[in-house]
Amino acid sequence: MATEKNGAGVSRRTVLKGAALGGAGLVGGGALLSSCGKKKVTGDVHWATRGGGETGDAIAKSVNDAYTAKSGNKVIAQQVNSDDFQNNFVQIMQGTPDDAFGWMAGWRTNARADAGLLADVSDQIKALGSSLSAAAIQGATNPADGKQYIIPTTYYPWGLHYRKSMVADIGMDPENIATWDDFIKMCTLTQKKGLVGFALGDKGGWEAMGTFDIINARLNGYQFHIELLNGKQSWTDPKVVEVFKHMEQLIPFMNKNILDISWDGMRDLLLQKKCGAMLMGSWFANDFKAKSQADYDDLWIVPFPEINPEFGVDTIDAPLDGVSVAANGANVEGGKDLAQFWGSKEGIDAAIAGGDTSIYISSDFDTSTYDAFNKQKLAVLGAAKNIMFFLDRDTRGDFAGPVVGVAIQNFLKNPKDLNKILENTQAQWDALPKL
Amino acid sequence: MNTTAVDKKVRSRRSLSRNDRFTLSAFVGFPTFVQLIFLWIPALATILLSFTYWNGIRISDIKWAGFANYKNIFLNDTLFYEALKNNLIWLLWFSFLATPLGILLAYQIDRKIKGHKIYESIYYIPVVLSLAVIGIIWNFMFQPGGFIQGLMGRDIGNAVSIWGNYKINTYVIMAVASWRHIGYIMLLYLSGLKSVDPSLKEASAIDGATEWQTFRKVILPAMKPVNIIIVVITLIESLRAFDLVFIIYGSSTSWPLLNILVYQNFAGQGISMKGAALAVILLVLCIGPIIGYLRTVFKEDS
Repeated sequence: MATEKNGAGVSRRTVLKGAALGGAGLVGGGALLSSCGKKKVTGDVHWATRGGGETGDAIAKSVNDAYTAKSGNKVIAQQVNSDDFQNNFVQIMQGTPDDAFGWMAGWRTNARADAGLLADVSDQIKALGSSLSAAAIQGATNPADGKQYIIPTTYYPWGLHYRKSMVADIGMDPENIATWDDFIKMCTLTQKKGLVGFALGDKGGWEAMGTFDIINARLNGYQFHIELLNGKQSWTDPKVVEVFKHMEQLIPFMNKNILDISWDGMRDLLLQKKCGAMLMGSWFANDFKAKSQADYDDLWIVPFPEINPEFGVDTIDAPLDGVSVAANGANVEGGKDLAQFWGSKEGIDAAIAGGDTSIYISSDFDTSTYDAFNKQKLAVLGAAKNIMFFLDRDTRGDFAGPVVGVAIQNFLKNPKDLNKILENTQAQWDALPKL
Repeated sequence: MNTTAVDKKVRSRRSLSRNDRFTLSAFVGFPTFVQLIFLWIPALATILLSFTYWNGIRISDIKWAGFANYKNIFLNDTLFYEALKNNLIWLLWFSFLATPLGILLAYQIDRKIKGHKIYESIYYIPVVLSLAVIGIIWNFMFQPGGFIQGLMGRDIGNAVSIWGNYKINTYVIMAVASWRHIGYIMLLYLSGLKSVDPSLKEASAIDGATEWQTFRKVILPAMKPVNIIIVVITLIESLRAFDLVFIIYGSSTSWPLLNILVYQNFAGQGISMKGAALAVILLVLCIGPIIGYLRTVFKEDS
């Protein structure tokens, strides 16, 4: 999850302390590198759980214990605060990092791999074989050298979320919100009831990126979107203007305090039946379940409606998460071995036994026990041909937050400034150093 | 004892025993060393790096950029001007509202008006809190779902927009920051006022000066060293403002300040030396008041 907050966590200092402990094993690690091939990997392995509180720890313990039982290698795990880990990733990886850790595919993996901070796990992906689809492997591949630096494990869809009961209340079919017109009608009717038609929070500066992503993909297609984010299309292109014009159409239906609330505010609006719909990643569904089973059963997700028939609903934001291995870890081979275990059937089974509700990419993943909402999540993912990873993973880090995030916030403040904002966005892209 | 000035100088230099010399050099040397390592070297490195392109990873990746980072900031970065504006508003607000109010309160309390002890404690309480804590408190009050919204009977969906409302958020932030600053200035000024000889006031009262004349013509000039420190503190507090806003808005730049931009470009996920250039600009802005402050401090010593 791009910028998702995690309440529980460990301070960076603890991370460094743990990493320093890891460094003690450095001497032993070097020797292992030479012993490649099918030889048994040995030595303690350090693992970092990226946020998730008690659940995160329970899942990690379950998987790591299973690994220890299988390989005989002890795993020393710690939980790190997700945001701190992300923000200080470069520094942590240059110090004495944990060997393996949960990480995110896309720019955040590829750029750091190019800088020599992550270890090549192509062999491990080969070993996992056909359990990973070609698309998943493609998503995990660094375009710079065609190798993989992350073992993809889970993903989650960004889709239109609403409550079935509320859609039925306004006389529409909850299973059939398929086009932009349906969507606008739904917003209008909800608003007539005195509620927020389409909830949006962008206090964090990243939440509304999802709305931009999906409207751009619906209007102009996946290819255009990715090219735009990589400087091969211009932000002043009328096609981009059109995307923002569509966003502007939605503003009258939105809550009036967009820049006051974050993703959790949007969640609460839907949870409290105060809004008709919202676009977000499905990670919050557990909070519905925590409130009551009835609320959870009421929750539904569909692909963001079609706008341009040429592209239909062929694209989705589904950030790919996985396990990466630090190039500077004390036990790189051990890290790779553990990472592979996390992506294997035994690893996935152990994670589920530990309480994990994520959707795994692996075909070894058993979905037969899935509830209706999770099955629908799979269907939404399956409907898409192209997978985006979310704007802040599809483009460079010095552009996503500091430039695009700000541009979208400025647009939401003053939609009339659009042309100026887009010109400025392009100018700031042009001023970026070449990679 | 021979007490001519020259002799005294020579004597005091000679009278340093080996032990004294060791103590002195340790007392001077260690802080200097620490300053060098943790302040001067990083500061110089930041200045140099502001003229480069770098992502903070491999030294070999550093590329000379000339003034490109500065050009980008001055020509393209609308946030920079917004931040500059916000810092300036902060400065003006503190200079013309918060600081004078603090001085006024100090003066009133020093006159021992009725209940001055209670007032003093009330105004003093926020000073013991860090701005980060103040941010947490007021964010909890004003945010959607917060305490004040609850009192008004507003839920998240129809909460009054405060932090995200660009017509008022600046003033709300200023008011919250002043909440602490007023008490801080009051405290500083009060301690200064206590050291002013009361006979000065009596003398001016006997000469028939009004309260205002006494304050302006007698107290204020007598307080000159404190005044300068207060001016410098106000300047620096306004320029280095960060924590309060960071707590409220996180690393997003919804209400930018120069320091927040430095953080976003330098310490976040998209490390670029634009952050270094912003830090240098901030340094240049701060250096004036700092020099003024140091000069006053040294003048007092001599």
